[in-house]
Amino acid sequence: MTSNANPEAPRRDGLYSVRGLTRVYGRGSNALRALNDVSLTVSSGERLGIVGESGSGKSTLIRLMAGLDRPNSGSILYTGREITHLAERQLGFLRASVQLVFQDPRSSLNPRMRVRDIITEPLRSRLVRRHLSRDLEHQARLAEVLEAVGLSIKLADRFPHEFSGGQRQRIAIARALAPQPDVLIADEPVSALDVSVRAQVLNLLADLVRSFGLTLIVVSHDLMVVRHLCDTVVVLRQGEVEERGRAAEVFGNPQAPYTRTLWESVPRFTGGPAQKA
Amino acid sequence: MLQVRDLEVSFGRRRVPALRGISFDLATGQRLGLIGESGSGKSVTALALLGLLPENAHTGGSIRLNDHELLGRPERDLAPLRGNAMSMVFQEPMTALDPTMPVGRQVAEVLRLHAGAEAGPARSRVLAVLAEVGVPDPVRVADSYPHQLSGGQRQRALIAMALINRPDLVICDEPTTALDVTVQARVLAVLDQVLAAKGAACLFISHDLAVVSQVCSEVMVMLEGRIVERGPIARLFVAPEHPYTRGLVATARLDLVEPGARLPVVEDFYDRATGAAVPQ
Repeated sequence: MTSNANPEAPRRDGLYSVRGLTRVYGRGSNALRALNDVSLTVSSGERLGIVGESGSGKSTLIRLMAGLDRPNSGSILYTGREITHLAERQLGFLRASVQLVFQDPRSSLNPRMRVRDIITEPLRSRLVRRHLSRDLEHQARLAEVLEAVGLSIKLADRFPHEFSGGQRQRIAIARALAPQPDVLIADEPVSALDVSVRAQVLNLLADLVRSFGLTLIVVSHDLMVVRHLCDTVVVLRQGEVEERGRAAEVFGNPQAPYTRTLWESVPRFTGGPAQKA
Repeated sequence: MLQVRDLEVSFGRRRVPALRGISFDLATGQRLGLIGESGSGKSVTALALLGLLPENAHTGGSIRLNDHELLGRPERDLAPLRGNAMSMVFQEPMTALDPTMPVGRQVAEVLRLHAGAEAGPARSRVLAVLAEVGVPDPVRVADSYPHQLSGGQRQRALIAMALINRPDLVICDEPTTALDVTVQARVLAVLDQVLAAKGAACLFISHDLAVVSQVCSEVMVMLEGRIVERGPIARLFVAPEHPYTRGLVATARLDLVEPGARLPVVEDFYDRATGAAVPQ
């Protein structure tokens, strides 16, 4: 199912061009091939969903794309620049341009920092700062991003624990937006949230992507979330690309048997369990 | 079989209310879903039924199981009921299982504690019940420690533990939330099958309305410590009456919304500040 053998030429609008990415954890008989020869491209403005079950390599893939880990082999071009062997001090441009939102805002937000400091932290980073637009004034930006995620500036002096799960995820999104990134990578952004809050955060993400012209990469085990947010999708299984394509086509008419199994396993609404005789 | 009347639970000296007087019945073999957002009182309800509320809890009302009052009974009366007349399947099998003991011995322990079974016959019962919950290799699983098993196998072992003494009531609190979607589908099928085979009633707590619709025939909706609506799945998920339920059902139906379109939220239907319906 993979088209790895036939890598397309990097497109002009290819923001990300990932080729033959392999990441092995451990060595010898304990070696775990988390990612095996994965290739993909992400165009500017694309909304890509990466789906797969635990152990599929989806988190490994985005960690590599965000420059948080290094592959054993393969290449990642971001805006045409190879990032896989850059030192941390050379990654400022990537940190300014690619931001992450994680699953659990309880653990991804520093509990000892006030919201205003959490959100402006990326702006203060010496590495990132040089790559930001010059007129980015911290307090003004704080007010802007808080407004964008629907939180009052009056809450800026509070600590994360004073907020609900949904509000904390809004804070994490505000922090990601602060340096005016081009790409937002969201790792299971709504998995830890209540159903009643999930729709609010999904609506917010969709609005932000639209109004700021963001490129969105969403990692999720929830196919319905990806179907809703994304226009393209990559299905990973045990570190390899099982299927890829437009979301409507992959979910509407899955080609790989594994994709079909995944799609059919999504719990559907029924009128209750079949009546037993 | 189970009768809950005006059950109230509050915590601490300030008596922060968690349950504000809930009443419901559960008949033999009936499967009742319990939905609502975090903090609505779902898990407190489960803990109250099992007599596992923390010491700073104040309770009121009544919980009757097979015509015996459970509320306010001392631990020595309740302990023999847990794992026997009623049992529980938790969300996270890694924390619910003892990491230092082979899984088979943990399942056998439930049997020995309550039925006083001998080690030999207990072993064969354990292997049989593991096979019943769809474990492909019961001997290997019984001899494995929890960390050596996959999430799905661990959850099956927990279901085996919960069902081995043929309880009247099984309480499931988000039993498949931590599982992969394909594993979840298989575990739900197994749960459905063994509940039916044992004729056990089930209180099934979940935030996932679609999962509830697959397991239960009826559902209750909790909000701020109260039950706001109860009804058959086929009615409640199609024609909810309470404005909060309407919002909850609408917001859960990702499958009905055109990809990319705005999702309905609870607040489109229900005003949390006033508790009133939002005019449509």
